[in-house]
Amino acid sequence: MKCEQYRDLFTGMLNNQLSPAEREQLNGHLAGCSDCALELTEMQTMWDLMGELPVPQPSANMRVKFDAMLNTYKEGTKDKRALSDFLKPLRNLWNSQPQWPFAYNIALVVVCLGFGYWFLKTGKTDGQDQKLQQLTSQVHELKQTMMLALLENPSASERMRAVSYTQDIKHADKEVINALLSTLNNDPNVNVRLTTLDALTKMASHPEVRQGLIASITTQDSPLMQSAIADVMLQLQDKRSVNPLRKLLREKNLDHGVRAKISQTINRII
Amino acid sequence: MNSLADNALMLQVKAGNPDKMSLLFERHNRALYAFLFHMTYKREASEDMVQNVFYRMLKYSSTFKGDGEFVYWMYHIARNVLNEWVRKNKNHTQQADFADIEERMGSGGSVEEAYEKKEAKTRLYAAMARLSDDDREIITLSRFQELKHQEVAQILGISEGAAKVRVHRALQELKCVFLKMNN
Repeated sequence: MKCEQYRDLFTGMLNNQLSPAEREQLNGHLAGCSDCALELTEMQTMWDLMGELPVPQPSANMRVKFDAMLNTYKEGTKDKRALSDFLKPLRNLWNSQPQWPFAYNIALVVVCLGFGYWFLKTGKTDGQDQKLQQLTSQVHELKQTMMLALLENPSASERMRAVSYTQDIKHADKEVINALLSTLNNDPNVNVRLTTLDALTKMASHPEVRQGLIASITTQDSPLMQSAIADVMLQLQDKRSVNPLRKLLREKNLDHGVRAKISQTINRII
Repeated sequence: MNSLADNALMLQVKAGNPDKMSLLFERHNRALYAFLFHMTYKREASEDMVQNVFYRMLKYSSTFKGDGEFVYWMYHIARNVLNEWVRKNKNHTQQADFADIEERMGSGGSVEEAYEKKEAKTRLYAAMARLSDDDREIITLSRFQELKHQEVAQILGISEGAAKVRVHRALQELKCVFLKMNN
């Protein structure tokens, strides 16, 4: 062992905490190592001197203060104890509940949670769905009315806007269809008529719309409209449109391009 | 140390008999005061802290489990109180209260011998004051409170081996400072 390791035993030597074996070991080393012996002697001197240092003494006040503090504390707990004595019957009532009501309580909580969940869920769907439906139909009606009013507007662009509204109307009723068909046949502006044709094509699943479209073939005089309506007929593959188209071919002042297109269309439909 | 009886008393306090704290105060207040005084060198503050430690032991008696020694628990609380005081008074550079200690430095023997001894003790005391808080704490616990290494280790929350090493190092440091002051 090195000196350093023996010196770890010094403090044990000073405060008498060494085992007899350790003591013997250290003494053996000290006999042969004057450095360590000197070090220990110095430490021992200092250690002894520390033992002679006056011990700090508290004033007599401390005891008095402690007693006062203890009394205050006891007063505080006495108040608390009086309160707890008062509450004891209540607490006993609480504690004396047998175990099965506890299980019952838990079951009740679960049932209440479930009921609350169900109530909120159904309440929400019932009330809100109804309101939502009401609101949607109101908006629908509003759009329809606005569209019908706009179709009477002197400005062509406003009338086009009105027609474009019909794309939002999912279930067009008769009034809307009639308004659109009359626009298709009578509107002075070709662009408005073209847009109306587009809108009506999208509603072609209605038999009335189909009939109206076929009827409108002969009333159109603009080559643009004639050509566009021929395209629509081709798209719809409606054989009822062949006769009105042939009738159109018989017209003398029909545009050459349109004439070629219509005869092509007739061939394709047949 | 009457540790078994200490634990029994504290358990009675815990069970709702605060009067038993009076006996514990009687047994430990001086040692606790000495520890706190060595750590602060303030008389009044140390007395207040002793009070505070005993108050906390009453208030938090429910946290005393009785499986460890009462003194470990007491020192644990005392060190918390001390840390709080140190934090609060970090910027205060009050003068240390040495008057009471100096008064009692003298001892018997011939006049010359007594004078020399008084000088040495005063120097040693001053050397103690110059140590770091950690060194002074461990020396106080092991020398002035006369606690065993194993007890010091318990109070500081370190292993017994570490406590031995730290006591040794602190003593060496003290010797160094003390010898320097001699020259």
